[in-house]
Amino acid sequence: MAASVEIKQEPVEGVDLETRIINLCQQNPSGINEETIKDDMPQFDVKQRVTAINRLLSTGRLEIFKSGSKLIYRIKDGQSTNNQLKGGDNQEKLVYQIIKEAGNKGIWIRDIRYKSNLLMTQLNKILKNLESKKLIKAVKSVAASKKKVYMLYNLEPDRSVTGGAWYSDQDFESEFVEVLNQQCFKYLQQKAITAAEGKSDPVAQKNGSYASSSEIWTFISKLGISKVQLAVEDIETILDTLVYDGKVEESFLEAQSGDKKRLYRSIKPLIETAGLMRMPCGSCPVVDQCREGGVISPITCVYMKDWLS
Amino acid sequence: MSKCKVELAYQILKELHGEVVAEIARHLMKFGPRHIKLISEVTQLRVDQIKKGICILIQHNFVKFDRNKKGVTEYAINTDAVSLQLRYPRYIYCAKTLYGDAAELLVEELLQNGQSLMSIASERVTQRLNEALEATGNPKITSSLVRDKFGLMVKTHFLRRCQTVLTDDENRVISSEEPKETESLFILPPLEVGSKRKRNPDGSGPPSKRSKTEEMDIPPDDGVYWMVNVERFHQYFRDQLIINCVNSKIDKQAGEIIRNMLRLSEIKTEPHSTVSATMTITEIFHSLPKELGMTKHIVEQYLSILTEDSVDVISKVCDSSGGLYVINIFRVLKSLCQAHIESFVQERFGSKCLRIFRVLILKKHLEQKQIEEYAMIPTKEAKELLYNMFAEHFITLTEISKTVDHAPSRTYYVFRVNIDQVARIILEKCYKAAGNAIIRRQMEVAKHKRVLDKQERVDAIIASLDQAGADEAQKEEIKETITPPEKEQLERCRTTVNMLEQSEIQTDETIFIIETYLYYSLLNTPIK
Repeated sequence: MAASVEIKQEPVEGVDLETRIINLCQQNPSGINEETIKDDMPQFDVKQRVTAINRLLSTGRLEIFKSGSKLIYRIKDGQSTNNQLKGGDNQEKLVYQIIKEAGNKGIWIRDIRYKSNLLMTQLNKILKNLESKKLIKAVKSVAASKKKVYMLYNLEPDRSVTGGAWYSDQDFESEFVEVLNQQCFKYLQQKAITAAEGKSDPVAQKNGSYASSSEIWTFISKLGISKVQLAVEDIETILDTLVYDGKVEESFLEAQSGDKKRLYRSIKPLIETAGLMRMPCGSCPVVDQCREGGVISPITCVYMKDWLS
Repeated sequence: MSKCKVELAYQILKELHGEVVAEIARHLMKFGPRHIKLISEVTQLRVDQIKKGICILIQHNFVKFDRNKKGVTEYAINTDAVSLQLRYPRYIYCAKTLYGDAAELLVEELLQNGQSLMSIASERVTQRLNEALEATGNPKITSSLVRDKFGLMVKTHFLRRCQTVLTDDENRVISSEEPKETESLFILPPLEVGSKRKRNPDGSGPPSKRSKTEEMDIPPDDGVYWMVNVERFHQYFRDQLIINCVNSKIDKQAGEIIRNMLRLSEIKTEPHSTVSATMTITEIFHSLPKELGMTKHIVEQYLSILTEDSVDVISKVCDSSGGLYVINIFRVLKSLCQAHIESFVQERFGSKCLRIFRVLILKKHLEQKQIEEYAMIPTKEAKELLYNMFAEHFITLTEISKTVDHAPSRTYYVFRVNIDQVARIILEKCYKAAGNAIIRRQMEVAKHKRVLDKQERVDAIIASLDQAGADEAQKEEIKETITPPEKEQLERCRTTVNMLEQSEIQTDETIFIIETYLYYSLLNTPIK
């Protein structure tokens, strides 16, 4: 009689254990570990616990995490995941999990292999599967053009991957940058000219020719030459290139609100072309081989002949 | 000495003084101080020729002689002074703008003759001026006017006495040296107009011979030789550079302020110091000429603009007595040198390369990826430009490895620009270019020699006809012996020679800035 009672009790207890575990998980949303389950239900032994947890995991009710060296179980809220992963096996779920963790930066295929410990061929098959199911997508990184990172299908790739406003389809838009460059420079030049004509006071002239980066940003946005919405930081990078060209100089202003405003104004170059460069020897490509009496010499120089005629 | 500089000096000397002098000079430049026997052995020239050549070089202050430890006289050449000959037209022009025609001719005399007595130089210049004035119908001038100009230039230190000679026990000249106090270089000898001492003839000759011997008039300032003080001219050019820099950066009024500040601090500044002497704002304000009409307020404003400017022309040292200001000479020179280097990079490699170059100067050291980001140039293009500049040694590469085994994948490759190194590279190129210009000019003249000779003959005939008082028709006939194509050839030759001469002078401007900057930076680098 006792034996039948036991047999009868087991399945009830088994289901009981699972619901108890789920209740525990719902009570502690941050996750429970082995210890908590054992304390709560000391009557079950390790094997029963393991079976219960495995069943919960495979039906997708529970998620397992590793914290340090301990395992933690959390309830899964996955309504969506349930739909998508139906029919997928554990390996696919694992790969999907890894890609999801990478967020919008994406993850490289080699890193997926390290994390999942799967074979290359198997991994490729899984990735192809997931791609056909439209769960993940491959995005080409702008840093290394051969590298492909995988991320979830509906996520927007991060700026560091696509390069931001200056890249369209992984191509650096140099013409776009050039156009913006020239427009900003013209605006600053115009401002300097109006300031010089308007005011007589030299300090007022100098201050009048300054333009802050936000002013230039509004001007460029109004011009409407850019299809992409540009931020003030983008304009600042363009203005920095003008500083590096030597056409514009920068200075800082501490506003009352405490943030630094960056001011720019156009400047004239210090000198006109250097004396050396006004003769062909300055830009001659073979000037090192040129000597009197040699094959290349000032007497036979072709560049000089063209320049002098 | 650098190879290109030696070549340039050789070319200049060959043109001005001939092959022999140039050969001697080149030998001395390559091998250092030598005495005559050695020179004649290597250059295969006769000893008397060498002696004459060295005489010329000493006369022009290129060569110094000294007795070495073994008691033999050795001759050493100053290559810098030789290559300064490129700058002579600039000195003459500068004297003309500052002090007028008489000064111009005086400087020209002194440059041509190297060293000269004041009285002889003044007389020659008076003669030349009077000839020119007669031709144009103006009244003659007396030599006192010229002498006054001479005195003025000595007072402002543009001319100076030559070095004093040292004699040994037997009254033989063994070497020369700079006098101990610089002030004595600028003392005018006492001079009365028109007085000339007569040399006492030797008592040993018979009386009859005495009357036959010509009485030699020796000028009253015998023994006091004068030469051009190139240091002073260089200081003037340097000041002009600073003023022009401020003119182009801000505006002309600021340039005027800087000019006055430089004039104020001229006397108090040590030569070759990085900053000028301090000046208070009241001094500056009072030194400005009244015509400019600047109020104190405007002067203050300009000073504040100049202080805040990115080139850092002047700095405010402290606020005592209304504000003490100094001019940062070294920083201005550095910015100018950098501007020349940038112009070189732009013309030679392109504007995108200039951007990369400036990014590296401003940010000191960057990796390749960062350079691409800052300069906003696509990767492939940036790589090409960067490596082009690296191949020409304008950029240097430093490897910083993360691991001990220096594996390339785990090493940072950092680019940077070393301004001094680049300045020297460009200086070499300048010397080369100036030398090439001289060679080419000589070639062009040699090419058209026939036509040029013909033109000279025609001119001589016309001049003689003028004097003989011939009429226009004859002159026209002579002029027509030069055919139109020959006239064209002459025109072309003239423009070519002008272009080449102009490029020599312009290249020399670059040489001046870079040499001055390097000199200052060497003087003022702290020795670790």
